Amino acid sequence: MKFVMTLLAAGLITTPAFAALDGAKLYAEKTCNACHGPKGDKPLMPNYPKVAGQNAAYSEQQIKDIKSGARNNGQTAAMKGVLHLVNDEEIKAISEYLSKLK
Amino acid sequence: MKASLLLISLLTAGIAFAAPPAPKSEGIEGKDYKWNAQGGEKSEALNKKGDAKAGEEGYETCGACHLPSGAGRPDGTFPQLAGQHTTVLIKQMADIRAGLRDNPTMYPFAATLTDAQELANVAAYIEKLCIPLDHGHYDSKPGDNMDKNWKAPADTDKRIADGKALYEKECLECHGKNGEGNKEKFYPVIAGQHYKYLLRQMTEIRNGHRRNANPDMVKIIKKYTDDQLISISAYQASLVMPGNMCKPKAGKKK
Repeated sequence: MKFVMTLLAAGLITTPAFAALDGAKLYAEKTCNACHGPKGDKPLMPNYPKVAGQNAAYSEQQIKDIKSGARNNGQTAAMKGVLHLVNDEEIKAISEYLSKLK
Repeated sequence: MKASLLLISLLTAGIAFAAPPAPKSEGIEGKDYKWNAQGGEKSEALNKKGDAKAGEEGYETCGACHLPSGAGRPDGTFPQLAGQHTTVLIKQMADIRAGLRDNPTMYPFAATLTDAQELANVAAYIEKLCIPLDHGHYDSKPGDNMDKNWKAPADTDKRIADGKALYEKECLECHGKNGEGNKEKFYPVIAGQHYKYLLRQMTEIRNGHRRNANPDMVKIIKKYTDDQLISISAYQASLVMPGNMCKPKAGKKK
């Protein structure tokens, strides 16, 4: 038990072997901020969504569907032009980051 | 026309109330199409003296995608604007705003510019930017610009040589010996633009999807194969954009 606790503590203070993707950095780098606002709460147009605080699973699914063309209604044409910039892993990281914003 | 009037009224009312859909004017697909017809906002903006200082503020919206440096993205998603002729910048912005060049990603950003004066201001600001030292080269794919270990493909030299031969046959006449374009005639600078952007635009012009294209250009480019366009783009991207290059940062190799 003690050994497990030690392991846990060690795990918390050392960095993991693989670096987790930085959702905040990706959000700015992949130009999401341009349309949805630097904090995800001030979209460029009133018919673009506020994405801050959205459930990660929902965001992730919508982004993937817009990228694949499965969802092609509304304002998706504007977003499709930038989605080749992100892969599935990055979409996940961005979605998780958004879910933590207020 | 009605659409642009509606757009203007919406813009003056402040776009916070509604997001107008991008208008669609008749372009090259119509039989009465006249390339670069003068009049309207475009001519107004071209005749105004742009205020670069005021343009800096207007450019903030643009910088989110085209970057504050005007470099765009090496993967070609967004073109490099720094070094481009003001006439070309104004024409393309006005065409996108008027629904002559379809670009759903850019349209809402272009629509945030208030009027002809602001178009002129932003173009004047972009004109002041120095030309970034590097851009996307042959076969840069999305993500390559993030990859420090990216290397040009083995056939790059051959591509550039083939592209040069093709370019000098027919493109040179309008776009110039070094790809410098022509400011008075609205022919863009193509030297040193991102490879992927050049390839996409040439393909769209050839296929009739860039509806504000010059019919003379369409006539010429119609017969080129995808493979030839790849070579031409590779060559154009290998040229150096004429003008004021940015200074290399100290301690940073080019």
